[in-house]
Amino acid sequence: MDLLNNLAMGFSVASSLANLLFCLIGVILGTLIGVLPGIGATATIAMLMPITFQLEPVSSLIMLAGIYYGAQYGGSTTAILINMPGESSSAVTAIDGYQMARKGKAGTALSVAALGSFFAGTVSTFLVALFAPPLTAVALKFGAAEYFSLMVLGLVMSVALAHGSVLKALAMVVLGLLLGIVGTDIYTGTPRFTMGITEYADGLNFVALAVGVFGIAEILRNLEDESDREVMTKNINRLFPTREEFREMIGPVLRGTGIGSVLGILPGGGAILASFASYTVEKKISKHPEEFGKGALAGVAGPESANNAGAQTSFIPLLTLGIPANPVMALMIGAMIIQGIVPGPNVVSEQPQLFWGIIASMWIGNLMLVVLNLPLIGLWVKLLSVPYYVLFPIIMAMCSIGVYSVASNTFDLYAVAFFGLLGYLMSKLRCEPAPLLLGFVLGPLLEENLRRAMILSRGDPSTFLTRPISLVILVMALAVLVLVFLPQIRKRRDEVFTESDA
Amino acid sequence: MTTTLTRRLLLGAALALGLAGTAAAFPDRPVTLVIPFAAGGSTDVVGRIVADKMGAALGQQIVVQNVGGAGGSLGAQQVAKADPDGYTILMGTVATHALNPLILKQKPYDPVADFAPVSLLVLVPNVLAVNPQLPVNTVQELIDLAKKEPLAYASSGNGTPLHLSGALFNSMAGTEITHIPYKGSGPALTDVLGNQVPIIFDNLPSASGHIASGKLRALGVTTKERAPRFPDVPAIAETLPGYETYSWNALFAPAGTPPEVIAALNKAAVAAMADPAVVARMKDFSASIVASTPEELGAHVAAEMAKWEPVVREANVSLD
Repeated sequence: MDLLNNLAMGFSVASSLANLLFCLIGVILGTLIGVLPGIGATATIAMLMPITFQLEPVSSLIMLAGIYYGAQYGGSTTAILINMPGESSSAVTAIDGYQMARKGKAGTALSVAALGSFFAGTVSTFLVALFAPPLTAVALKFGAAEYFSLMVLGLVMSVALAHGSVLKALAMVVLGLLLGIVGTDIYTGTPRFTMGITEYADGLNFVALAVGVFGIAEILRNLEDESDREVMTKNINRLFPTREEFREMIGPVLRGTGIGSVLGILPGGGAILASFASYTVEKKISKHPEEFGKGALAGVAGPESANNAGAQTSFIPLLTLGIPANPVMALMIGAMIIQGIVPGPNVVSEQPQLFWGIIASMWIGNLMLVVLNLPLIGLWVKLLSVPYYVLFPIIMAMCSIGVYSVASNTFDLYAVAFFGLLGYLMSKLRCEPAPLLLGFVLGPLLEENLRRAMILSRGDPSTFLTRPISLVILVMALAVLVLVFLPQIRKRRDEVFTESDA
Repeated sequence: MTTTLTRRLLLGAALALGLAGTAAAFPDRPVTLVIPFAAGGSTDVVGRIVADKMGAALGQQIVVQNVGGAGGSLGAQQVAKADPDGYTILMGTVATHALNPLILKQKPYDPVADFAPVSLLVLVPNVLAVNPQLPVNTVQELIDLAKKEPLAYASSGNGTPLHLSGALFNSMAGTEITHIPYKGSGPALTDVLGNQVPIIFDNLPSASGHIASGKLRALGVTTKERAPRFPDVPAIAETLPGYETYSWNALFAPAGTPPEVIAALNKAAVAAMADPAVVARMKDFSASIVASTPEELGAHVAAEMAKWEPVVREANVSLD
């Protein structure tokens, strides 16, 4: 019963008055920065790190972790209310969440997101506690070939994100892939599509792209016609889901939690796939796939749970190996080193108080988030009644500050403006931004791992088929492809047959 | 040549003036320390630890600003163009002040003419380590194996000190171990721990936890001497005489910064590096403290550029 003892120790550490306070500060700060469009957890943690020097190591890490998962929570709020995702994961939530808000169901969408996240957070916290070491061993089996196959699977799934024309969705994925290529090629050091601008040497900033194509484009669209402007406040229904809606969300939340927990463990960018994958699964198995993209409850519940589960399990490689799964985790490692803790496999045995304290605090933090956020939903929804001539300039200003704060790079602001216009143009042409973002996120990973796998296999492409995990994932990708296109092929055949009959 | 000479003279005069006590006015507002890499990396960690204590010594807060991108060039460029008043300084590294200027075809700044050296703070050893499943225990066994079968090593990226440490190793040992670049040290370590790639050149601080736990087998450190924290790990130079690489961190101000300001910054930096808390952290970090004078840093940059120039040429690394 080591686990119970360890968890008890963790909870005793995490529930000391000081640590509870730091956890609370962390999740409040996280929620706030998540709600402010554009300002991400990375920038906030970087800014707050100096303050944490004076704290105990456990307290400072508890607070920083709180900011991280608090921001995941808060990020979905803006995605739902104003179509402004601050992180790649909440881009998916924006698709159906924002449509729910337009139908006056903003409160329902927000509470579904909060409850789904809490459930996912609870389950994945226990996963971290129970299986961290064995799960790490699985994650280490993933090499370049496996990541390549995983990204192929992700791209195949992305077609399902579209709720209009498949052709346009594919075009958007390809445009996203191309935009993802911008920057320095890591194998040869050659700058690609940077137009000679050194500031783009590390590629385009994801937040700038997302804020542009989703948020700014939406603002432009709303401004074009006075009479067409969305008035969402007039028909807001009750804030909490009905019993029926509760029943409707159970399945998506469970599946989302599972998908997110598994993908979150992979340090090479698996977590970004979580919410996209969950959305695809929900749409595929839904009895009403036509509702997706028009405000489907499952399209919010699933991805939100997946996203939060992934956020928690991405701590596994950090805590067991000292390996960062994303930039926020890299910052946490920096914070550990400054505190005099050498990150690595020994942290669990040498600093059990720290390890188990953080795990216990994750669950406490998630509980705090639900308690904090459910009553706040009414307040967030009221924000929508702020007149547009006040709200829009504030959103634009916040976005600009947030995007600039990531890397103090003015060229990121030009990117926001450019992608805002592009997003507006896309909405005129009825092209959707979500597949574009997925292509943008997956493209660089796909290329990096494809080339690394090929270098390691000395140019032998059979490496993708002879490595068992890679093979299984590729077979899954093929299966998804068949599932996506089969109905269309059959339909076309039917059409052909009816024509020949006539 | 003349510019360096004038600069040396100016610096000498600078120090004399600084000692005369005209530095009283500096600093009257917070100083910005630009770290040319993302937050969380080793340069960032060193920078933040030093900034805290240096601020105390100056009597003004030092604000850390991360300006990452283009392998450190963006941040360095920003400081090179900043007002030379001492309120914007740079945490320079072997990358910003030796490797990038040698590698980049288009030079965004001149590491000598555009900067006024303040102090060389620390030297950080690198390490050659392998996954324990690779059947080698010494540098010599690795060289023998590499001559028999194709091997690959992971590094934190193209043109980084770690890539070039590997390139120097290949050229001195006569091996052809393939370089596999990653986006930073974290993902490179992950793949070596998972035995996707058998060999890694890494900063000693980031690899030390894995070496201590036995998940990585350290074959040699890249410094001339063994590292105090790992007395059992030989120096690569014990097998390949003359092999020496390390990363370093140093403070630079923009060229033209008044000498008394440089002197004040140097005094604060040296005081910070003598602080017991900083000494303890740097020891954990396997970094050895130098805390040099501005002149010594100037000479160090020149020596580093001279040392890396043939390695860069031989490894045929160049970036646009």
